[in-house]
Amino acid sequence: MKKGDITFSVIGLGLSLWLILESQKFDYASKFGIGPGFFPFWLGIILAAFSLFRFIISLKQKYDAEDLKPRLPGWGSLGRIGLIMLIMAGFALVMNGLGFILTVFLFVSIILFILEGDSILKSIFYGVMFSAAVFLVFRYWLEVDLPRGLLGI
Amino acid sequence: MDIFNSLMQGFATVLTPFNIWMAVIGCFFGTIVGILPGLGPSATIAMLIPLTFGMNATPAMIMMCAIYYGAMYGGSTTSILLNVPGESASVATTIDGYQMARQGRGGAALGISAIGSFVAGILGTIGLMLICVPLAKFALKFGPAEFFSLIVMGLLTIVYVGGKSISKSLMSGVIGMALGTIGIDVIQGAPRFVYDLPELMDGVSFITVVMGIFGIGEVLVSAEERMKITPIHVKFKDLWPTVAEVWQSKWAILRGTAIGFFMGALPGAGATISSFVAYAVEKGVAKNPERFGKGAIEGVAAPESANNACTSGAMVHLLALGIPGSGATAVMLGALMLYGLKPGPMMFHTNPDFVWALIASMFVGNVILIVMNLPMIPFFAMGLRIPYRYLYPGILLICMIGAYSLSSSIYDVWVMLVFGVIGYFMKKFDVPGAPMVIALILGPMLEYNLYRALALSRGDLTVFFTRPISATLLAIAAIMTILFSSKTIRVKRKMLEEVEE
Repeated sequence: MKKGDITFSVIGLGLSLWLILESQKFDYASKFGIGPGFFPFWLGIILAAFSLFRFIISLKQKYDAEDLKPRLPGWGSLGRIGLIMLIMAGFALVMNGLGFILTVFLFVSIILFILEGDSILKSIFYGVMFSAAVFLVFRYWLEVDLPRGLLGI
Repeated sequence: MDIFNSLMQGFATVLTPFNIWMAVIGCFFGTIVGILPGLGPSATIAMLIPLTFGMNATPAMIMMCAIYYGAMYGGSTTSILLNVPGESASVATTIDGYQMARQGRGGAALGISAIGSFVAGILGTIGLMLICVPLAKFALKFGPAEFFSLIVMGLLTIVYVGGKSISKSLMSGVIGMALGTIGIDVIQGAPRFVYDLPELMDGVSFITVVMGIFGIGEVLVSAEERMKITPIHVKFKDLWPTVAEVWQSKWAILRGTAIGFFMGALPGAGATISSFVAYAVEKGVAKNPERFGKGAIEGVAAPESANNACTSGAMVHLLALGIPGSGATAVMLGALMLYGLKPGPMMFHTNPDFVWALIASMFVGNVILIVMNLPMIPFFAMGLRIPYRYLYPGILLICMIGAYSLSSSIYDVWVMLVFGVIGYFMKKFDVPGAPMVIALILGPMLEYNLYRALALSRGDLTVFFTRPISATLLAIAAIMTILFSSKTIRVKRKMLEEVEE
């Protein structure tokens, strides 16, 4: 885990630096004691200390079996994750316009058709089933306020 | 007598058809979602919060508690049948549970797990009831300095046991606290780290972070490779452990319950450590310790009882002190706040009906769980046969609905997606998410109490060491720091690491 720990400690150091710098925009002390900048500043210092400690420990560590394996998956798997996130981002973008139920149908059908390689008919079938389930449970039974969009449902 | 009367009053509130129905639904959905591989109780509760929208606080929290119990039980099902623990607290169960399942005794393992969880749940709730009231009374003496020290103690201990690496847990905790500083600051009421985004004025919603890290993040890890899971088949007729097996497990269940409850009542000691300690104790006292690791039923009974009793222990400081003792109770705290309730010692005075109804519902929830789950285990287990490609779009949808319905805004959905990606990388780099989540909720409380304590003492920092209760709490934190860094814990951590591998 040496490589992973080094990466994380560097990220931690970056974050701590950002916290310390940003905290300077706020008062360190107030009339009655601490100011709004006090807490973020010290959090930055503490994070820097822990990150530095982790960094030094990681440098001293020997490479283990996990370091030989790539920490991140291959391009194929990363592509799958990227696509899932992209489809979810698309979901968030269109759900107000199209309405939640219709978006659920598209979301499920697209995931099953593009990512899972199901046939178009099967993907549409599951899309309809998921939409119906969401409609019945969340809209009809629990009366959750979800965007109605084009179809008004 | 007071406690008894209050409890009876609680039962009178709970035992209405609607509240019982809420408990049944909570147990059912908690078990169903808890069974999904990779989703632990924290994610399950966070994802199912929308189910309670539109309800009053009492039925909503009755349902939440039932979801919690259901999720704990659902988690053990995947540990036993798939060798995939829903969260670290179930890891100890996999050691012997999965071996039992491989030997065709999966049903018996699930059965003893249900029985152990039931006994632990009932005894744990009795313990909770007896400790909560005096603790809440005592906590009324707490001022800002005491609360500050209490939160420090809780944070430190939670962070120490959060994962395999203490330093990474600490870093995760500090990042969580930093996230908690976003929004209107508690001191001058000025916006902090909002960068002209009005949505950030209210801070980062804790529920969206939980759903992102534990829900979306987990799904991304599982979906990375086309997950193929083949659960071990459970037959209805093999479901029940034999009378001899239950008898053989009685001490394991009782010891596990005692260990779980007391470790749960310590902030941060948590279900993971307690389940491992219970397992180690059973192995230590066994006449034939070599059976452990090869399918010993006590090896399932003890950790399962311990992690369920720990649930009640963790509720002690949530209800009496307002401090969450685990990731799941942190989510419950967030849910209570959504309903405008402020857990802590004052809640016993301001909302006694609610508190006692909640405690009574824990008894009811445990009964419902065993009555419903024992006969339904094979059906729940059948759910595991549904291909993962049909499950994960459902999990993602529930998260989307959950995030959107928090404030009927797309903004929360975006926040959740961002934390989903962060959660994925945290998982990849072995950074525990629980300390971040708990610190996110405790961080603002810590800052507020620090500010108040220093304002009252005119900036005198010694106030934390000169006030007896505060000094005692800090001393306990220091002792726990030493204990948690000790060899025993390092050995446990190593054990956890080996089992997870």
